[in-house]
Amino acid sequence: MIQQRETFLNNIAAALGREVNKTKKPERNWKHNPQAVTLTDLSQDELVQLFKAQCVNIHTDYVETTAAELKAELSNRVDMYGGGPISVWEDERFDTYGLGVLLREEWPQAGVEVNEWDIQKGADNIKFAEKANVGITFSDITLAESATVVLFSNGGQGRSVSLLPQTYIAIIPKSTLVPRMTQAAQAISKKVQREEAVPPCINFISGPSNSADIEMNLVVGVHGPVKATYIIVEDR
Amino acid sequence: MKVTLFVTCLVDMFETNVGKATVELLERLGCEIDFPTAQVCCGQPSYNSGYVEHTKSAIKKMIETFEHAEVVVTPSGSCATMFHEYPQILNDEPGWSARARLLAEKTYELTDFIVNVLKVENVGAKLNGEAAYHPSCHMTRLLGIKDAPFTLLSNVEGLEMRPLPYAYNCCGFGGTFSVKMGNISEQMVDEKVDAAVSTKASILVASDGGCIMNIAGRMQRRHIPVKVMHIAEVLNAH
Amino acid sequence: MSIKISDGQFKDKVKENLQDDFMRGAVSSAQDRLRFRRLETAEELGNWEEWRSHGEEIRKHVLENLDYYLQELSENVQKLGGHVHFAQTAEDANRYIEDVVKKKEAKKIVKSKSMVTEEIGLNAVLEKAGCEVIETDLGEYILQLDEHDPPSHIVAPALHKNKEQIRKVFAEKINYTKSNDPTELARHARETLRSEFLTADIGITGCNFAIAESGSISLVTNEGNARLATTVPKTQITVMGMERIVPTFEEFEVLVSLLTRSAVGQKLTSYVTVLSGPRREGDADGPEEFHLVIVDNGRSKILGTEFQSVLQCIRCAACINVCPVYRHIGGHSYNSIYPGPIGAVLTPLLGGYDDFKELPYASTLCGACTEACPVKIPLHELLHKHRQVIVEKEGKAPISEGLMMKAFGIGAASNPLYTTGTKLATKVMKPFMKDKEFISKGPGPLKEWTAIREFPTLKNERFRDWYKNREGGDKK
Repeated sequence: MIQQRETFLNNIAAALGREVNKTKKPERNWKHNPQAVTLTDLSQDELVQLFKAQCVNIHTDYVETTAAELKAELSNRVDMYGGGPISVWEDERFDTYGLGVLLREEWPQAGVEVNEWDIQKGADNIKFAEKANVGITFSDITLAESATVVLFSNGGQGRSVSLLPQTYIAIIPKSTLVPRMTQAAQAISKKVQREEAVPPCINFISGPSNSADIEMNLVVGVHGPVKATYIIVEDR
Repeated sequence: MKVTLFVTCLVDMFETNVGKATVELLERLGCEIDFPTAQVCCGQPSYNSGYVEHTKSAIKKMIETFEHAEVVVTPSGSCATMFHEYPQILNDEPGWSARARLLAEKTYELTDFIVNVLKVENVGAKLNGEAAYHPSCHMTRLLGIKDAPFTLLSNVEGLEMRPLPYAYNCCGFGGTFSVKMGNISEQMVDEKVDAAVSTKASILVASDGGCIMNIAGRMQRRHIPVKVMHIAEVLNAH
Repeated sequence: MSIKISDGQFKDKVKENLQDDFMRGAVSSAQDRLRFRRLETAEELGNWEEWRSHGEEIRKHVLENLDYYLQELSENVQKLGGHVHFAQTAEDANRYIEDVVKKKEAKKIVKSKSMVTEEIGLNAVLEKAGCEVIETDLGEYILQLDEHDPPSHIVAPALHKNKEQIRKVFAEKINYTKSNDPTELARHARETLRSEFLTADIGITGCNFAIAESGSISLVTNEGNARLATTVPKTQITVMGMERIVPTFEEFEVLVSLLTRSAVGQKLTSYVTVLSGPRREGDADGPEEFHLVIVDNGRSKILGTEFQSVLQCIRCAACINVCPVYRHIGGHSYNSIYPGPIGAVLTPLLGGYDDFKELPYASTLCGACTEACPVKIPLHELLHKHRQVIVEKEGKAPISEGLMMKAFGIGAASNPLYTTGTKLATKVMKPFMKDKEFISKGPGPLKEWTAIREFPTLKNERFRDWYKNREGGDKK
């Protein structure tokens, strides 16, 4: 439902001194385009280095590994954070990277509670995530400049997993790495132009939550996770 | 080169020495000085207070006075900025606006003129001591002259330049602001004075009469023995 | 609260705040830190002036085509299953939100930081309707607990409070027993607020930028509270100022890049969240219902005027962080939820000259604000335009000042008058000259000056006299 639009827009057009325009797409002829040349000349390895360096600034642990070692690294990280409960996305990439065994066999057998997001469980997913010690997701697009993981949340990729648990781990396939937000924005905008659905929630996440609201002192860990790790992995 | 001097009303009334130094300095650099006595004030005090219409007659008077000039040089970043505003102020009067543009194009702040027109970076000045430089807001931000004063000062023999902390903060003059918002202005100038004192320099150099009147006046009141000098005086010392 | 935060007068508030040593120390050190970080991140990005110019042209384009983009945005929100309400006034916006709240029989509302909801005074309306409204941004939460102390900065609202004051408030209001360590304080707020998020019926947010092409709204935060407010509650209401919109994700990205650097010197904040409509089928979190309230509240009166460029503002506070006046008087002196240079321009436009005519004069026109603005709003020029309007259109300047300026105008325009005037002045000033160099106690308008500083005496020999005398023979 849209309410009171007519008068509102007419009022704006009147202030601008012209007839209201609802249908003719305005031409966007930008004179400046600095984002086209920002960090675009870096190689994939240079992007990894940039990403790694930025992790220090955002208080996020950086781990680089191979697909074969990923399972061990992930398990290791979870232990460092104090174990379960663990909340994860429903995501076929866990199987692609050989982590299904960990999620469904090894951790449960070791008494670590794991919840793979299950839309049938509805709001119980949120409750579980809220109690979880670790949340784990993959990154859909990764920005080198700001050390940002971009998460497309819909269906099995619940928003809560990267938000409610005490700590957060993002698994980052190397191929998702792009220079900066420019490339992610272009990719999303293209989706819109192709009339593909944009996910209801997209998060650009750069490290754990923080605040400087008390005397400008940085406190890492406020409403969202208090610690974060990025595991960057060779593609499989 | 024939230089038409716009000495500014503050210098004319209060800082005869700055005017003298400007004349002598430019003459030493081979310029011939022309001083049209019909010149008055650039109009900033009333213009900045919002009395735009009232200011226009003064502005037009100044345009007429300097119309004959080859170049206009002034020992004030702020007043030079005001000349550069003239075309926009008279935008509604195309004839005047065009005349104002011609004036703006040939008007230079003193140090900018020396470095960028005369192409002189060392004026042969000598002055023993340590100094800090206060960059005025209008000169650096609105006129965009950032380096010229430092270039010239760094070549003054015997003068050791020290960085002024928080140099970018306004000294609190702001024309009528200094009396309208006196208690705020006081805090601002005090911070500026304290910053100057912290450098332990014996001289504070500035390029604008307004800043100098404000900072020197406050130092005097606080009995602080730092000498506040106009850059023309420093560059004319030898 | 609405745009005006108290009944006090500007002069009194300044006097009071100049006495607040903690506030002044906090503000100046925050300014120093934020200035450094902004410049550092701008430098790292490279081509900063290009970025600013691009930001400016995007914002200008949006304002010129605002009707089209709001139409596109609202159509797209509707397609996604959201509701859009266009509110001409604060009252209209509040009424709509109150209706939604009543229909949902909501008792508890969590809010993430939003200046526009402060501007329209939403909290008071909802509280009157019997709701518990909880601000969840740490700074806003502190202020709310402390008897609704108003924000003093648009990005760091509790900048004026020290940690000991905060500890006391927490101890009094939310059973806090630990030290005044910021981390301990923040952790306690986390615990307390987490349960509020989980039991809230509605989440209310502001909006940094809406994206027309996809019907999205975005939230730029560090704490994660805006994510919580839009993840758990069943209903989401987002309130946006009508100008906070971009055409596509591509322009969105540019403005976010400018915003995070200018506001806090970060390449990106911890969370940039883009939300498009309510949850979809198969989603287990996110709101089931989404309402977007687009607020005019005086903005359209600015469109098409010489003040239009103020609507380019992206609320980064860079101008506040460099303002040498704000540095000393702090946010509360402005008596507006929008302080600093942007506040001094925007507040009289939204709140009227009657209450805020001093603000445009609370500036030396030093231009630091204009230089810092990431979307190139000529803030100091707009402050000057306000003065012109106050003097020439509103006739609100003091009569004595008007007479003085008129006399100045006449005097300055006439050389004989100027020449005799400056000569006469020397005589008039004679009795006030303590010694030869300075005047310590001046008459008339000089009184204010000499209350603080010495005034130079008029020289017996003006420059023009010296020059005339030397022309004869003294020339080198």
